[in-house]
Amino acid sequence: MISLESVSKRYGSKPIIHDISFDVRKGEIVGFLGPNGAGKTTTMRMIAGFTTATSGRVTVAGYDMASHNVDAARKLGYLPEHPPLYDVLDVSTYLRFVAKVKGVPRAGIAADLERVISACKLEEVVKHEIYKLSKGYRQRVGLAQALLGKPEVLLLDEPTAGLDPAQIQETREVIRSFGKEHAVLISTHILPEVTLICQRVAIIYHGRLLAIDSPTGLQEASEQTNSVTLEVTAPPEPLRQELMAIDGVMAAHVGQVPGRDSLCRVECQVDAREDIESDIARVVAKRWALHRLERKQPTLENVFIRYVSDAANQEVVA
Amino acid sequence: MNGVTAILGKELTTYFRSPIAYFVIAVFLLGTGYFFIYNVFLTGSATMDVTFQNMGILLLMVVPVITMRLFSGEYSARTMELLMTLPLSPWEIVVGKYLGAVAILLVMTLATGVNLVPLYLYGNPETSTILSGYLGFLLLGMACLAIGQFFSALTHNQIISALITLPVLLGFWFVGNMQNFQTSGFLRSLSQYLSFSDHYADFIRGLVRSEAIAFYLVVSVIALILTASFLQGRR
Repeated sequence: MISLESVSKRYGSKPIIHDISFDVRKGEIVGFLGPNGAGKTTTMRMIAGFTTATSGRVTVAGYDMASHNVDAARKLGYLPEHPPLYDVLDVSTYLRFVAKVKGVPRAGIAADLERVISACKLEEVVKHEIYKLSKGYRQRVGLAQALLGKPEVLLLDEPTAGLDPAQIQETREVIRSFGKEHAVLISTHILPEVTLICQRVAIIYHGRLLAIDSPTGLQEASEQTNSVTLEVTAPPEPLRQELMAIDGVMAAHVGQVPGRDSLCRVECQVDAREDIESDIARVVAKRWALHRLERKQPTLENVFIRYVSDAANQEVVA
Repeated sequence: MNGVTAILGKELTTYFRSPIAYFVIAVFLLGTGYFFIYNVFLTGSATMDVTFQNMGILLLMVVPVITMRLFSGEYSARTMELLMTLPLSPWEIVVGKYLGAVAILLVMTLATGVNLVPLYLYGNPETSTILSGYLGFLLLGMACLAIGQFFSALTHNQIISALITLPVLLGFWFVGNMQNFQTSGFLRSLSQYLSFSDHYADFIRGLVRSEAIAFYLVVSVIALILTASFLQGRR
């Protein structure tokens, strides 16, 4: 439903987006993950048709955004980074305006309004002027606006920003239920959000797409971030040799714990084997006193940091 | 078409839910009423011509206030991102907003009709001249609004938009006065042709010339085209 083919964007001579390609299929929620300033919003704006790509092709629901953006807009719901609200209008007048422009048939407007108002829990503020609303409500009015007209493609730029934990939970439910029949792309810099609701994740950094995979796939792809930390009372060199002899231990860095002469702290790089920490514990405990042992599982957070630092390193090398 | 009416409706709602429309209409009526009383009661002539003249200059002052928020307001509220990503062509946005501003002009113009009551009660004014004056006033207003809308599309700042619009409109108003300083016949007729006040003066005298109607309409359409293509190019 959304497809980007080697899309680039420059402002003047300043490149913002380099050669990004990916697609979002029907019934799929894709997370667009990257630190602030990575180019998420610019990419979202190109997909939404607010700006055009300098080169490459963006298509939404089969329409080329460069030439048929108005046709595509009929299939598109878009929540920009800053919810685009008219402060002097009340919530229902605002939503009615958007529904009319989206071409919702006159007879269906009331029902459609009711649907998005209950989905976004706006019942209490329907008659309030928008300038009186809290940040959380403003965000949800923005989301309600995007849902109007049941668009086939939903683009949400940081949809949970400014919401409290309960509202975040509710918003994720709304997005998840919408994702069953529609193509959804949400941008975020909150990692747990991606693991919770997305089938695939696209990681973007400095305008480049670093990876696109499922959240678990990304986790598997980064098994080398597995590590075991242990604290042992032992002489450093024999301890290191003993650890390196264990199958699956790839590296071991032994350091002294300051102020405690014979205590060593060891960082082991290990492979993804499930029970490797028990092997290490057994071997070490046979000869020395083991005080602490901790296995670090790769979280998406680690994965993300690793991808970003890899890309940063590559840039330094280049 | 659906888009145009939706935008028009939104524009009118925003104008009348903020103080701008009331303020502009009130100031305009106050000024017009003052000039009317001065011109009619103090001179004792039952005509609208001098009042129309004054209404024209007053219009140049209020147009920037009406048009400044049209696009600058959308930019600064970041709602332009909504309009440009809804199924709307730049044309629908520009025309819808323009009609909203023209609607304010119409309300303003109709409200000055109260002045006609004493005119008809105590005098014997020439109806056709008054109607032609009103037609000229509306056409002048439409051209000024289209120009103001264009300058509003150029900047995020409403104040800047108004501050550019006002001197440009004054320039179009006074350009006719430059005729007397021109030695070349071409420049003389050009400055006469571009003059908003010269064309308007014909209407006030009761002279409805098709060239004058066409002039104001062409100016409006050119300004609307420029605005729409600017929005298209901004993407």
